[in-house]
Amino acid sequence: MSRLLLPASLLLISLIAVTGAARQQAVAERHVHPELAQVPAETRDRKNPYEGQADAVLAGGKLYRQHCAECHGNDARGMGRAVNLRSRAVQDATPGELAWILRNGNLAAGMPSWSGLPEQRRWQIVSYIKSLR
Amino acid sequence: MRATIRCGLMLAFAAMFIGISLPVAAQESPYFVTYSHHLEQPGNLDVEFNPVIGTQRGGNNYLAGTTEFEYGVRAWWTTEFYLDSQSTFGDSTLFAGFRWENRFRPLMREHWINPVLYVEYENLGGADKAMIEVVGFDNESDFAPRNSELRGETKHELETKLILSSDFKGWNISENFIAEKNLSGEPWEFGYAAGASRPFRLEATPRPCNFCRENFLAGIEFYGGLGTAKNFTTSGTSHYAAPILGWQLPSGVTLRVSPGFGLNQNSHRLVLRWGISYEIAGFGRRLRRLFR
Repeated sequence: MSRLLLPASLLLISLIAVTGAARQQAVAERHVHPELAQVPAETRDRKNPYEGQADAVLAGGKLYRQHCAECHGNDARGMGRAVNLRSRAVQDATPGELAWILRNGNLAAGMPSWSGLPEQRRWQIVSYIKSLR
Repeated sequence: MRATIRCGLMLAFAAMFIGISLPVAAQESPYFVTYSHHLEQPGNLDVEFNPVIGTQRGGNNYLAGTTEFEYGVRAWWTTEFYLDSQSTFGDSTLFAGFRWENRFRPLMREHWINPVLYVEYENLGGADKAMIEVVGFDNESDFAPRNSELRGETKHELETKLILSSDFKGWNISENFIAEKNLSGEPWEFGYAAGASRPFRLEATPRPCNFCRENFLAGIEFYGGLGTAKNFTTSGTSHYAAPILGWQLPSGVTLRVSPGFGLNQNSHRLVLRWGISYEIAGFGRRLRRLFR
């Protein structure tokens, strides 16, 4: 039993270290998109009402091509100042955070507010962005 | 003035040349007179042609219009250049002047009510009949004289607006308070515009379509004068109610139509507006590349 204690402890410590490092990386990537940190707590946990709906992904893709692809690129990998939407920071963001950023934009950084699109369509775009993972 | 027209035409051709294959669907509001807080996307150019037919008691009916070039300088700043012209039936056709406006969003986030500050310089002849705002004691009878009498007058005006606008459950509700000053020294004139609009369908359908309900918007706007700084009033000036129908095509073209009905004896009985606009994505970027 005592022979297993050392390897088990080492495994546990390694797991903790790996998880910690991953979390640190995620925190660092979130720092790349500081706007994510501005999202109010109450909107962060909002659920996407279209989650898991294939039609919402299709509709979101259509909206993405109409409104977003010009800046973020057809492949959503970002262009110039426009963020790579396949990046870990974006993909790790909650649907509520993405919906908040779509609604408010980041005017100082050049991203317009999309509050003129109905909320339903913004959620459909979130569904599409999440499908890029 | 000829240089201004030439400049406008060159801009239009440049827009067509550079952007003909780069359509994008914008979040256009369908209003003709009222402004919402939605600005042009940065780097995009929106080219609009908005004609209007007005009935005229005590004079000839007219066809007027504006050609507009709206550019998103920043996500919080939109600039727009207008060329006004008009043709009065049984009279003459003339270029009526130009306007240059700028809209700024002072707050960087969305709120229940979103303010936008608007500043415009107008260099317009007395014969301008585009009527994209009503201020002071603007009256139907102002348009009754013949063009030869009206064209002699040139107005240099500064127009400011406080735009307040909200989005709620698919609706946009906007209110504009207008203050206009003739730079030759006349008192400040005031006016208002307010509108509400909503798409027929809030969700998008999975497939591209031209005729689906999500591409259509309907709304109504009200606008009129509020007198001057010396006599702030709603009487003695004109007021209108105008339902609106808009159709946003995925190709980047937006079509709108709005019959405006005069609400008192000082107003034109009917002001029929329609418009076509085309959004050119990445215009600024492509223009910069030409000069690199």
